[in-house]
Amino acid sequence: MSNDTVTLDVREDIRSGREPFSKIMAAVAGLKATQDLRLIAPFEPVPLFGILSQQGFSHRSSPTSAGDFEVVFFRTPAGTMSADPKMKGGSTPAAAGHAVCSGAPVIEVDARGLEPPQPLVKVLEALTNLPQGARLLARTDRRPMHLYAQIEERGFKGESEEQADGSFVTYVEHR
Amino acid sequence: MTPGAFGAFSPHAPNIVLPLRFVVTGLLALFSGVIWLIVRPDILATYHYNQYVIAVTHLFVLGWISTIVMGAMYQLVPVALETKLYSERLARWQFIFHLIGFVGMVWMFWTWNLKQVGHFGSVLTVGVALFVYNIIRTLLRVPRWNFVATGVASALSWLSLAVLAGLAIAAGKCSYDSESALLQAAPVSALVHFLKSVAGYVAHFDAISAMHAHAHLGSVGVFLMLIVGMSYKLLPMFTLSEVQNPRRARASIWLLNVGLLASFLAVLFRSPLKFISSLLIVAGLVVYGLEILAILRARKRRALDWGLRYFLTALSLLVPLSFLAVLLAWPGLPLNVFTGQLENLYGFLAFVGVVSFAIVGMLYKIIPFLVWYRSYSSKIGLAKVPSLADLYSPGLQVAGYWSWLSGLVTTSLGIILSQAMVARVGCSLFLLSLIVLAVNVAKMLSHLAKPRVEPLLQVPKRASEFQRPQPEIIPSRS
Repeated sequence: MSNDTVTLDVREDIRSGREPFSKIMAAVAGLKATQDLRLIAPFEPVPLFGILSQQGFSHRSSPTSAGDFEVVFFRTPAGTMSADPKMKGGSTPAAAGHAVCSGAPVIEVDARGLEPPQPLVKVLEALTNLPQGARLLARTDRRPMHLYAQIEERGFKGESEEQADGSFVTYVEHR
Repeated sequence: MTPGAFGAFSPHAPNIVLPLRFVVTGLLALFSGVIWLIVRPDILATYHYNQYVIAVTHLFVLGWISTIVMGAMYQLVPVALETKLYSERLARWQFIFHLIGFVGMVWMFWTWNLKQVGHFGSVLTVGVALFVYNIIRTLLRVPRWNFVATGVASALSWLSLAVLAGLAIAAGKCSYDSESALLQAAPVSALVHFLKSVAGYVAHFDAISAMHAHAHLGSVGVFLMLIVGMSYKLLPMFTLSEVQNPRRARASIWLLNVGLLASFLAVLFRSPLKFISSLLIVAGLVVYGLEILAILRARKRRALDWGLRYFLTALSLLVPLSFLAVLLAWPGLPLNVFTGQLENLYGFLAFVGVVSFAIVGMLYKIIPFLVWYRSYSSKIGLAKVPSLADLYSPGLQVAGYWSWLSGLVTTSLGIILSQAMVARVGCSLFLLSLIVLAVNVAKMLSHLAKPRVEPLLQVPKRASEFQRPQPEIIPSRS
């Protein structure tokens, strides 16, 4: 696969204390189907690997001679996606249905099986990195009562839906 | 597209300053109560029908337990039942009535001025009415009724009855000499006339039976009922488990309700059915215990933190408490110095061993969360925020646990043996435990005044990076 590559250098952002995630996620959202993303950062951006793998990206990470890290994110070939255990929830009919219907990328966060307030932390962290136009699908064991005010405060809107097993799915997107 | 039916975004928990106000007031009352017992340990070492015991008991049950329980309910009921508190304003008003009411009541019990107890009790009752109304209106919004809601509703009913019974007992101990001097038409005359007829009715019962009946409405109907009802929600939440058998959970609540109604009447009328009715309550607790064990067995989080250990230890103290209850309800049990002290032990074990210890355990879950939510929830994802456990010292928490338990054992011995000095040593251990708790609570609250956040990403500081000019390639194509 000899794809186009979009390069994004976030070293200066990080050095000057700016949060590079929204920039990265915006770049990801802007990628065409055939494009890869080359990210240059002063350290290996491990948290990003999980987030982008949920969007169907694999990565190759290598240190550069200057002591930085260069990571290439490329789309995981179809059929190998379920290799990542985090993708299991994402491939359920409900999630797939929403992704198809809304036409927007869906980032899924499974916050079930966590002790409060970890579900809140997990969902809000994912929300911080939510690109414009994308929607977040959060799975929780209980109705996320403490999430709602935070969502509103951060300029998002969303809805919760109880599932047959008693758990909840909450959809969040930018207002 | 719209994802089906859902509860929108209107429900949320109230502002945390409201519950924290109740929590801090409750802790101050607990401190005063324990210091009071160290100064006057004879209160525990002598039979409990005197003004000092009654004053201290009301400081514990109204100042400490009820204050905390009400504050926690304003926070927990909406969250547990997935709705919104009806009115935060009513709750703030209740706090004022409650504070004036219980402080005045305790003071007037101490000086044994029952007329003023009635007046301050009425102020407290206004607060309780606001509380009951507020929670009922909140319950009416519950999207799906369940046994937790039944437990809360039951507790509200018993609370109303307990307060009314208390007021009636106070009215029964007043004299109404001034009645003839009042104008017949004045509204106050009608009120005094009403109180006098209540007093006439209360006089049919013996004073100690009426007091015991009133005490059980509060302790079993309100405190135990809420512990049982709320634990079906909180224990699964904190141990990552689920209620295993909803029918069993429902049965425990109804057995408690029926058992308490029977016990209340049996105690009040000095009926030999007291024994059978106490067994009904114990049966409710056995069913409750089975469900709690099932919830714990099914938990996904194996480790139990110390907050939960406090709570579960308190629940396990229901076992000796139940034996004591059945023993004291035994038909024909003679009242002598020893059995009188067993009654003291029964009350002490119930309020300090079970209810207070369970509350302290839950406070270790609730206060860190409230503070953390207030100080850090808006910063999640934007900065590195501490975890709940970072807000207090686990070492102090363990020290608080063991000093409380040793205080409980020592004080219990002092009560059984009628030894005031032993009770004083025990209460000093309680004070130690409370000081430890206060330090931990202060640690938690300090995060309100001064939140501690760190930047999300640590920038590697390498000299080479600062010297090298950075090319701007954002985003560019290669």
